[in-house]
Order: sequence, then structure tokens, then C-alpha cells
Amino acid sequence: MTSDTLILRPRRKPGKKLLVWIPLIPVFIFGVSFQLIPVLTLLRSSLFRESGLTFEYFTRAFTPTIINSFSNSLKLSTATAFLGVVFGSLVAMAIISSPKKIVRDSLTALADVTTNFGGAPLAFAFIITLGSTGVITLILKAIGVNLYPEFRIYSITGLTIAYLYFQLPLMILLIIPSLLGLKNEWWEAAINLGANSSKFWWHVGLPILAPALMSSFLLLFANSFGAYATAWTLTGPDVNLVTVQIAALIRGEVQLQPELADALAVVSLLIMSLCVFGYIWLSGKANRGRS
Amino acid sequence: MRMNKFWRTMIIVLFLAFMIIPVVATLTFSLSTRWDRSIFPEGMTTQWWQLVTERAAFKLTLRNSLVISAVTAICLGVLVTPSIYWAHVRLQKSKPIFELMSAFSFGIPGVVLALSLLRFYSKIPIPLVNTPNILVAACMVLCFPFMYRPVANALDSIDVKVLTEAAQSLGCGWWNTLFRVIIPNIMPGVISGCLLVFSTVFSEFTLTNLLVGSRFKTFPIYLVEFTRFDGRQASALAVISFVVAWVTSLLIIWIAGRRAKPTGGPVGGH
Repeated sequence: MTSDTLILRPRRKPGKKLLVWIPLIPVFIFGVSFQLIPVLTLLRSSLFRESGLTFEYFTRAFTPTIINSFSNSLKLSTATAFLGVVFGSLVAMAIISSPKKIVRDSLTALADVTTNFGGAPLAFAFIITLGSTGVITLILKAIGVNLYPEFRIYSITGLTIAYLYFQLPLMILLIIPSLLGLKNEWWEAAINLGANSSKFWWHVGLPILAPALMSSFLLLFANSFGAYATAWTLTGPDVNLVTVQIAALIRGEVQLQPELADALAVVSLLIMSLCVFGYIWLSGKANRGRS
Repeated sequence: MRMNKFWRTMIIVLFLAFMIIPVVATLTFSLSTRWDRSIFPEGMTTQWWQLVTERAAFKLTLRNSLVISAVTAICLGVLVTPSIYWAHVRLQKSKPIFELMSAFSFGIPGVVLALSLLRFYSKIPIPLVNTPNILVAACMVLCFPFMYRPVANALDSIDVKVLTEAAQSLGCGWWNTLFRVIIPNIMPGVISGCLLVFSTVFSEFTLTNLLVGSRFKTFPIYLVEFTRFDGRQASALAVISFVVAWVTSLLIIWIAGRRAKPTGGPVGGH
């Protein structure tokens, strides 16, 4: 503190308080011109016309097809986030309870490598694996299990499986610090007091992990809600998602007033920001609980 | 943490199978003469790889992707690193703005980002819309947190104020302090950030597809075109994407591992 006041303070003369912001101007110009203003443009054009404030674009944008796309996107995101949280936590528990360091390290590295892995190559890998003539499909057929036609990889179910490929690793990375925060002594104390494994989880483990699990759920939900490339490569326009609808509007495949596209974008931004701020709020709680 | 050995092994094996089978299947498929009616490939060949890599479009799209990824990584590194250093040493109260910019980048879906940029910049007479420039700008928004996080963490792990004061009391100006004292100390963070940005932009499809479409074809666009036209050649392209993503991720893990070692780590630290 003393050295701080000695060397850094004398340069800050009272009138020059604003000058200290000058070095941040480039990054703020970037933020304002590519983040803030474009999004405000969307907001304004979806809410205003010459006569003033209107919600007409929102009511008109929500045609049955669009309502269906929102319902599909919400379902897909809920399913992949829920499955990601459940299975990701199980795998994370298996990883950290492994006695060998090399197993723990290499599995965490695998999660690290695969979590940023979405998009076209992933979708294509799933077509080759679980498509109508996919490798697993053929092997299962040989042992008498016919996946098709009940199952299709080019469907919402298929998309759920493909999304889990990046949701699972993300969940593993998110939850490992919280799982490591569960102290062995708590487990031993609970067992000594006569609890069994399920009682421990119900009364001790889950309540402690709850904020971390909920915040991870929101992050996974957002991760899936905004995804487009995987869905587009895997299913094309077959599966009706919000992002697929907005992309079609941008490419001009559907003739519509641009304001209606803006309204859709604003609604999906609203859903995303609820998830992101919920995540930030809850993960703050989870961190406080840990320290 | 306790877990029954049987269940632990089962869970890990199933997880590994889920993560590895699609990749191995894609690789094998790209090397098979035919593999769509029998359990095993009917024969092995490298002809799909030869065919697909010989095309002029292959080299062009690969080059486009490499250039756009490198340019985005460098621009973001140059823009973000000095700013975060300044925020750390002189303007702590500006940090929430950076956090907000990161949250924004994560929270905005790619399609919405593309739409917002097109709606605003199509009315403005600067050479941005329909050029690779707008793609770089959009990718910079998309990757902002990937650059910000590692650099901010690296700055947190060294005593920025003490280093800055030491440098300045020895007569170092701000630029010299940044380039000769701070950046060498946070190099692992800067490089990790750049690599993360590079691999993200390399596999970027949504923004490219919607912002520049067919005017500037990148590798993922080329890959998606192929999936609808020749599966075996497309699988070779998919394998190349997998390899690029892995190599950059492994490099990042390797750098992080080197940093964690007590020797050869950064000066200072907690």
C-alpha cells in the first residue's frame, strides 16, 4: 500500500482523473462498435417504428412455426443440459475418485480437448457413427438390434446425442473443482454417524453442490440454445430450431420483414442473458461456499 | 470421494467409448474403400485423402482458414493484452466492464451476432460487410473471453503492481514495462489465449456462413459442402479438423503444465 501511494499516486493529479482511461479507448471502441451498437440496433428496430414504441413485431413474429422452433430449442437445451449435468457429474466423480494420477490427468485433458469441439466435423462424425449406414448402426444390426427407422440421427434425439459430445466434457470441467471441495471428513463423519451412501448424498453432498449444479445447468443450457453449426450440418432445415430460423431469415430463404427477424433475435438474447446472469450469480454463490 | 471400483471402471469405459468411437470411426471411414453395408470396412485405401487434398479448393480454403484464425488471434492479443494490464495496474474499477464484454461474447448466439452486425453495418459506407474484415471483427467478439480469461489469470498470478513499480523506479516507461517486464512474465497466458482463439476460429462455421457466405470460403464451409456430396472425402476433411483442434488443445495443456512446475515458472506468484 505504501509503495503504491509513493510511486503510482503522484502521477494521478486531480484534474487528470479521466486521462487514466485513455489507454482503454481502443478496447472500448471495439466493444461499443461490435457489441453494443449492433445489438442496440436490433433492440431499437424490433421495438420502434415511426409512430413510436410497438410490440407489434413481436406478436407478428410468433407464427406457429416460430413458436414450434422456440419449443424445440428449449426442449433440446433442457434435455442436453440435464443429461450433461447428470452424466457429466458421474464421470467427474469417477475421474477424481480414480487412484491413479495418470488416469485423472489424461481424462481431464480429454475433457479439455473435446469441450470446444462442436460444429461440422462433430456432426459428420456422428453421421458416420450413428447414421442409417453408420458403424454402430451396422454392428447393432448384425447382432439383431435395428436402430432405424425408430431412431434417426437427423432428429432432435440425434441432436441431443451429438450435443452431449461437447456438453459432457464442459460439465466435467465445471464440476470437478466443486467435487474436490467436498471434504473426505464430511463423508467419514456422516458414515460414522450411521448414514449410508445415498443418505450422505441426499443430506450433505447434494445441498452443498446445489449452487454449482444449477449454475452449470444454466451454462450448458445456454451453450446448447445458441448452437447452430452442429444442428445445421446434422439435420439441415429438418429440425426446427430458433437459431436455424434466424439463419434462414438472414440468408433470405424466408421472405419476411427484417424487423421480425430482429424480434426473434431479441427474444433469444433475452433467454440467453437470463441464463448467463443466472450462471454468474449462482457460480458466485458456489465459490463462496467453497472458500 | 468414494466410488465402487466396478462402477468407476464402467463409467470411465462408457465415457471413453462415447468420446473416442466417433473419431476413430471417421478416421477409419476416410481410409476405407467402402464401409456402409458390412461390419468391417471392405478394404483400405488412401485414395480419398489423395483426391481431396489435390483439389485447388482444398488448399485455398485451408489457407483462408489459417489466415483468418491467425489474424484474429493476433488482433485480439494486441487489443486485449495491454488493456487488461492497464486495468490491473491502474484501473481496477474497469474490470467489471471486461467481465461484461466477456459475458456478452459468450451469451450472444452466433446467428444473432451475425444478424446484428449485418443490420447495423450494411447501412454504413465502410468496407466491412461482405468482406473478410467483418468476419475478423465478428470472430474477435466471439473469442473475446478466450483471450481475456487466460491473460487475466496470468496477470493475477504475478504481482503486477510490484513488478511495475520496480520497473518504473528503475526508469522504465509504460511501454518498456509492458514489453520487457510484464509480457515476458505472462507469456504462457498470452500464448494459451492466442491458441484458443486460433482453434476456435479455425473451426468456425456459423459466422462465416452467414457473414461472408461463399465469397470467402473457409475450411469448415468446404467440409460442410462435401458432406452433402462425398462422404469419404468429407471424412478426411473432418479428420484434419479434429487434428488441428487436438494439437492446439494439447499445446495449451502442455503450456499450462509447464507453468505449474516450480522451476521455470513466472517471476513472482503467490
